[in-house]
Amino acid sequence: MNNIIQKSGLSAFVPWIVSAIVLSILPFIFTGGGSITIMNQIGITIVLAMSYNMLLGQGGMLSFGHAVYMGIGGFVAVHIMNIVENESLWLPLPLLPLVGGLVGLGFATIIGSFSTRKAGTVFAMISLGIGELIAACCIIITVFFGGEEGISGDRTMAPPTFGIEFITQKEVYFLIAFWVLISVFCMYLFTQTPVGKMANAVRDNPERAEFVGYSMRWVRFVSFCAAGFFAGIAGALFAINYEILTEQNLNLNMSFQVLLATYIGGVGFFLGPIFGAILFTLLQTVIGLQTDLWALYTGIVFILMVMFLPAGLTGLFAMHLIPLQLGRLGMLVRPYAKIFIPGLAFLIGSIALIELINHARHHGEEQFMTLFWIEFDTKSFLPWIVFTLMVVVGFYISRIIAREVTEAWGEATFVEGERR
Amino acid sequence: MAVEALKLDNVKKNFAGTEIIRGLNLSVAQNERHAVIGPNGAGKSTCYNLITGRYELSSGRVYLKGEDITNLQPYEVKRKGLSRSFQITNIFPKMSVFENVRCSLLWAMGYKYSFWHMVGRQSKLNDDAEKIIEELNLKDRRNTLAGVLSYAEQRALEIGITIAGGSEVILLDEPTAGMSVSETEYIVGLIRKVTEGKTLLVVEHDMGVVFDLADRISVLVYGEIIATGTPTEVKENQAVQEAYLGAAMEEH
Amino acid sequence: MDLFIINVIDGLIYGLLLFMLSSGLTLIFSMMGVLNLSHAAFYMLGAYLAYQISIITGFWVGLIVAPLLVTILGAAVERYGLRRVHQYGHVPELIFTFGLFFVIEELVQYIWGRSMVNYNSPESLDFIAFNLAGGSIPAYKVFMLLVSVGIFVALYYVLARTRVGMIIQAALSYPKTVEALGHNVPLVFMGVFGVGTGLAGLAGVIAGPSLTTFPGMAFLLGSIVFVCVVVGGLGSLSGAFIASLLIGWLQTFAASYNVGAGDILIALGYEYPKDIYYHPWRDLWTLTLPQIGPILPYILLVLVLVFRPNGLFGKRES
Repeated sequence: MNNIIQKSGLSAFVPWIVSAIVLSILPFIFTGGGSITIMNQIGITIVLAMSYNMLLGQGGMLSFGHAVYMGIGGFVAVHIMNIVENESLWLPLPLLPLVGGLVGLGFATIIGSFSTRKAGTVFAMISLGIGELIAACCIIITVFFGGEEGISGDRTMAPPTFGIEFITQKEVYFLIAFWVLISVFCMYLFTQTPVGKMANAVRDNPERAEFVGYSMRWVRFVSFCAAGFFAGIAGALFAINYEILTEQNLNLNMSFQVLLATYIGGVGFFLGPIFGAILFTLLQTVIGLQTDLWALYTGIVFILMVMFLPAGLTGLFAMHLIPLQLGRLGMLVRPYAKIFIPGLAFLIGSIALIELINHARHHGEEQFMTLFWIEFDTKSFLPWIVFTLMVVVGFYISRIIAREVTEAWGEATFVEGERR
Repeated sequence: MAVEALKLDNVKKNFAGTEIIRGLNLSVAQNERHAVIGPNGAGKSTCYNLITGRYELSSGRVYLKGEDITNLQPYEVKRKGLSRSFQITNIFPKMSVFENVRCSLLWAMGYKYSFWHMVGRQSKLNDDAEKIIEELNLKDRRNTLAGVLSYAEQRALEIGITIAGGSEVILLDEPTAGMSVSETEYIVGLIRKVTEGKTLLVVEHDMGVVFDLADRISVLVYGEIIATGTPTEVKENQAVQEAYLGAAMEEH
Repeated sequence: MDLFIINVIDGLIYGLLLFMLSSGLTLIFSMMGVLNLSHAAFYMLGAYLAYQISIITGFWVGLIVAPLLVTILGAAVERYGLRRVHQYGHVPELIFTFGLFFVIEELVQYIWGRSMVNYNSPESLDFIAFNLAGGSIPAYKVFMLLVSVGIFVALYYVLARTRVGMIIQAALSYPKTVEALGHNVPLVFMGVFGVGTGLAGLAGVIAGPSLTTFPGMAFLLGSIVFVCVVVGGLGSLSGAFIASLLIGWLQTFAASYNVGAGDILIALGYEYPKDIYYHPWRDLWTLTLPQIGPILPYILLVLVLVFRPNGLFGKRES
């Protein structure tokens, strides 16, 4: 079936054309204040998370320092912006991501030449060490990294492209969208190449890959360089969008965020990181505005995901393909609907309690607080009792219904003569 | 006389001071089907690991069609035209059967570390992979993940990965271990079919399979070859009967 | 010369502190094959718990109770978290502990706030133990040294002389055999994880007053501890010990000798540039040893991993 689609040429481009159309009308649908800013951020995160998944998902390499390749690409991009501003170099802004990509590629080539010798813990530790090293260098090498305050540039000073000077966020959006589409397309093509296929093989069984003629080290190295290239593109896009880069854009915390976004989306799927990037950025920007505890929430969600949903959100969708194919998806609707209400009560109760405790500990002097659009008195007992009840009762009922869900799931996915 | 397809010259291997392989000499002629038998712990799998670069030799040399391949990396050995299977199934579990076979063809068909070819568009590559799957009798399992195949199917796939890419010398490590009689027949038939015109070295415990398949047999006991010859010669060899075959024949 | 001796002592204390963390990390890695990336978070937890307890009951109760609490927490993490993730493989385990690090860091800030807390050494130890011409060594440092040495000796005794130690040592090399002999390996895992994190907690309790207790303390020490275990060789206790002391001294000495790259360059015959601020090599000219001190461990780490991927004393493959 794959063959037919791939051979018939044109139809293979349909999803890409649709994506291009969707990307170009999005800014006209979401016109609200910060939405273009958020979409730009999402675009950058998509490229970064996808490039990270080339390592973790496709190649089985766990990196704790992927932000470094984005950061280096971004820093060089800002420097080039400044050189272009001084008119010692002619470079239209839309080509800058390519330069960032090449920088990421170059840096990945150097690091990869020794770090890809082994996968697993050793690779992870080298990536951690390199990440810490570069982050520490940011403070020391001020000529390049600009010390604590970082370096900044001005994207509008580049020679205009078809009359566009990239002054507004919307203009930048189209530049980013263009590069997101190109990058995702190229990363998809990469998975279809011999070395992309062998990356999966090396991830699955490095030893056997050697016995079919491939050096696992070289396969990893090629994937690593490619991932560095696309991370560099993300870095240059970041530089164009924010016009500033600091140590915070390449430190361990940033690398963790990349891992988090990718993992939440689902590392086993090509499209997983896209969902992860969208969700993560929304959590970060939207919830980040509502509460200063967003990092705690995302951290807890992440830990729970690793424990209970290792395939990520995409994995959750993919799981439901089985009952869908069997035509039994309807069997799940009722139990899902039943668990929704107590589950939601538990969730809201927990969040409210966490926020309430936070309020009591750190803003004790203010008597009133607003949660879920309701203002209440934190000094009275009522909210404490209500939220605790929601947590306890919600959890208890959810647990009972959870059994029903499991049963329904078993029935919906049961296939005669096959064990699951 | 033509050069031997595979030749081991006084190969030795020590593990932490203990000699496991003690001066192994073995030569396999081109297009010969050669079986290695011997009791458990005789060093059969170790011997394979030494030939294919999984372990480093303590001393001695290994020649493939006259070319010295001693202590080359596994992927270099494979590129020189020697391919092996494993006693414990060793496939790519999270990839489909088709992908398993196609990946095994890539190097032999010259794609190397290419990132400019689209594998889906290489018709010869895909046709060859389909052909192998057909030979393996796994056509209706083509898109199944290799990890969820039945044991016999995984063993068949293991052989498919090994022979894909047209290596001239094939090393099989207990291809029928743990199989029922009918499954064994299926695998033996498969081996016969896919190793047509190739050199085969096979380690096997099932004497029925060995005498059925092999042109010549070597008997490995405690890291040494104590006899080599045609099945009849080996059967009649006094030393072999004392050391090993007697007991094995009774069991059989 | 006096500065040298003081540095030797400071470096020794710092090194032994590192060893308290790296020994637990090494034990956990050797037993379970997982590098606990959240290890330093338990160290921070120890300091904060001890601070909380010391408010109510004073320092000495905290010294005992806080590490025990951390031990229980660590064991719970193994029992209810890690054991579950274990079935998915090593990479998810690493990811889990990495995520746990950030969650604990956020939790600590959630409970105790984002600024440092006032966790002090006990008054009974607020005197100067002895003077070394020019500098003085406070009694609390001597106390830290004694506790660290005590832990080192106790650990050595338990591992080398007791039955539990023999099981652990055997499980390091032959985990399957040990299980086959009827030992409850999951329980041993839980115990080792608990004790390992408990050691980290104890390190936090005694380091808190002297290195200050603040939300960044885990991050500051965490990566250095990984450097210790990796440089020493994953799974090698003696390697972790030597690497911890080495890095302890390396950092202490680097921080206190203000050697500038400029001086070296001048000594090599280069001329000091007039307008240093606009000079392309200004970072090189103004570079000093205390500045590069913090990154020395990472340089060491990368060099070791490149040239000896199994560490200085390691033999196990990861």
